[in-house]
Amino acid sequence: MPKIIGIDLGTTNSAVAVTEGGEPKILESSEGARTTPSIVAMSKANERLAGILAKRQAITNPKNTIFSVKRLIGRKFSDPEVQRDKAWLSYDIRASSAGGVEVKMGETWYSPEEISAFILGKLKTDAEARLGEKIEEAVITVPAYFDDSQRQATKNAGEIAGLKVRRIINEPTAAALAYGMNKQKNEKIVVYDFGGGTFDISVLEVGDDTVEVKSTGGDTHLGGDDFDKLIQEYLVGEYKKQEGIDISKDSLALQRLKEAAERAKHELSSVTETEINLPYITSDAAGPKHFLLKMTRSKLESLVGDLIEHSIQLTKETVTAASPKGAGFNLGDINEIVLVGGQTRMPAIQEAVKKLFGKDPHQGINPDEVVALGAAVQAGILQGDVKDILLLDVTPLTLAIETMGGVATPMIAKNTTVPTSKSQIFSTAADNQTSVEIHVSQGERALASDNKTLARFILDGVAPAPRGIPQVEVSFDIDANGILSVKASDKATGKSQSVKIEASTNLSKDEIEKLKQDAAKFAAEDMRKKELIEARNQAESLVYLSEKSLKDAGDKVPAEVKTAVTEKVEALKKVKDADNLEAIKAATEALSAEIQKIGQSVYNQKDGGSTEGEPQPNAGS
Amino acid sequence: MDELNKKTEEPAEEKLLDVADEGKKLAEAEAKAAEYLSGWQRAKADFINYKKEEVQKFEEFAKYSSADFIKEFINVLDSFDLAIAALEKNGPVEKGVYMIRTQIEDILKKRGLTKIEVKTGSEFDPAISEAIAFMDSDEPEGTVLEEIEAGYRLYEKNIRPARVKISKGKSQ
Repeated sequence: MPKIIGIDLGTTNSAVAVTEGGEPKILESSEGARTTPSIVAMSKANERLAGILAKRQAITNPKNTIFSVKRLIGRKFSDPEVQRDKAWLSYDIRASSAGGVEVKMGETWYSPEEISAFILGKLKTDAEARLGEKIEEAVITVPAYFDDSQRQATKNAGEIAGLKVRRIINEPTAAALAYGMNKQKNEKIVVYDFGGGTFDISVLEVGDDTVEVKSTGGDTHLGGDDFDKLIQEYLVGEYKKQEGIDISKDSLALQRLKEAAERAKHELSSVTETEINLPYITSDAAGPKHFLLKMTRSKLESLVGDLIEHSIQLTKETVTAASPKGAGFNLGDINEIVLVGGQTRMPAIQEAVKKLFGKDPHQGINPDEVVALGAAVQAGILQGDVKDILLLDVTPLTLAIETMGGVATPMIAKNTTVPTSKSQIFSTAADNQTSVEIHVSQGERALASDNKTLARFILDGVAPAPRGIPQVEVSFDIDANGILSVKASDKATGKSQSVKIEASTNLSKDEIEKLKQDAAKFAAEDMRKKELIEARNQAESLVYLSEKSLKDAGDKVPAEVKTAVTEKVEALKKVKDADNLEAIKAATEALSAEIQKIGQSVYNQKDGGSTEGEPQPNAGS
Repeated sequence: MDELNKKTEEPAEEKLLDVADEGKKLAEAEAKAAEYLSGWQRAKADFINYKKEEVQKFEEFAKYSSADFIKEFINVLDSFDLAIAALEKNGPVEKGVYMIRTQIEDILKKRGLTKIEVKTGSEFDPAISEAIAFMDSDEPEGTVLEEIEAGYRLYEKNIRPARVKISKGKSQ
């Protein structure tokens, strides 16, 4: 089945994701990055570049490096937004014959759709390389405030790039989808999206699998880049104060400072203080100069506090103002808040949003990737329209067999996809045991008797042998129809016995629920019972081992050791069948310490009978 | 009664119909068998591919899990290079200093890090380098004038492009 990709076509960065096995995941670019700069360039060698390569050559080629084209797509040239952007864009734009915008790159004038198509084309090619298959369809996201013309233009860009655009969805809707909020009923959601270059706020209302945009707001020229710029300016200023040198003119120093500023911003999200340490940042007549500065989170917050406050005011307005400016809701009406965009990693922003709404915003999904992931979720839903031919069931409950002490030993765990099979070797619990009972149970309780019995059968003809020696292989096999076959065979004699159980999966929903609830209810009690049984089993093995060792060693064991061991064995026998776990454990330990002396005395006799260094017998038990 | 008559009257046709019916059943069964076989093959292939992918993913993880750490370490190496350059300006530098640098580089090399070669005078290539300055010079436009910071590759991935100064050509 051909896959449909989800694309977040951003103003500064884009990302692409796909749903595989029901889970959306980001597809890395050919350069190994999870996001791709939304930049296209025509290089001096007349080569078209897209993504990070276009970004790296930007300063050598500002006239032919096209960025932020999303600000132009689907707009009229006379649009005030376009006129405002024209002033600072480094490339040339003009009105097209139809009144739209045209962008000059190299010798050619392109429509913004064509430029966007180059970015989409790169995302498509990279996705194909990652997936190893051809991609022909996509879901693309746009800001909630995009009008029909902007949406149509984005769709056209997809078609130019060779993608059938199955759906254009709103970025905030995609973010809500990524968090699985489309299933909730009658919820009011605020999506606070602080990207690299734009700040968008959207108020959504979800009901009956539809998502309605109630209002949008924000600032198209406010973003994380503004934060970086402020930090950078602060650092340049501080350095001038420290050393009297202006490093803003030194391109390498500035590059290092820019990176340090970004790093500091990231670090201050998790720690409250960081050090900007740039040795040999520049030099003067006296020699090399270094940059060393401590920066605190509170300093950072004071630098960018106004920007955050501005975003909070805009949020408040978009939620509470009367339509059409806002959604006309009370802040308390909002059920969920979703954070999108890398800048929202900043604790001060999370705090400010939390304070405004009085509840914690959703986090957990990478805010740089959440929109693309949500687009992939939508793509996955569309993909799912074509039904999978083969539906595989799972076992609703654990299938187990009863082992020593009544413990249910799991063979096939719940939620295992069928058909499947599993086998395990078991042994006997007593000497000369010639038959074993196979008790197949179903359920999550620790003891077989608390679960539902599916079958019981006996495998006899096991060759007489000491306990633990015979090997009985038990295999469970469930076919695609949920029919369970259990087979037990003695490896020594080849004798086997089997049973078929037809109804292993067709329990009613209520039955399954009840069994699961029981398991949860009795979990603690079951655990204690199981522990007791295990301790008892261990005690029994030890009693058996001790008696056997005494017999085997015969006269080699001094009488006092023999008496001491026998005493401890009797003590353990006395407590092992009672319900006192602590007593069993203590008696087991005491015996365990005591029987070591059997071996020791046998060894010492061989060695000449020296008892030097022998530890004192453990008195207490 | 009617049916009985029909049966006795047209036994030959009935038989023919039977054969046609059997043929249809067989074709259906064959189609189903083919569908199941292909489904089985597909599932098996999916699983084998998944296993291969897992191995690959694990290898990738093993290779690149230290990328963040190495990236930060490259910053230290940069500072070291700047220190050496500054010291060289004042005269010959103690050999041991170079040896320490080699030690650091060797450790990183063992973990898959290699330097990207960018020659002064070569043509600017954004695949391996990033232009951070664009300036007048006698060299033709687009020529690398100087590598300011080395670029590094971790196995097959460029984890940092070289930072270069690029010629704008002669100013008019």
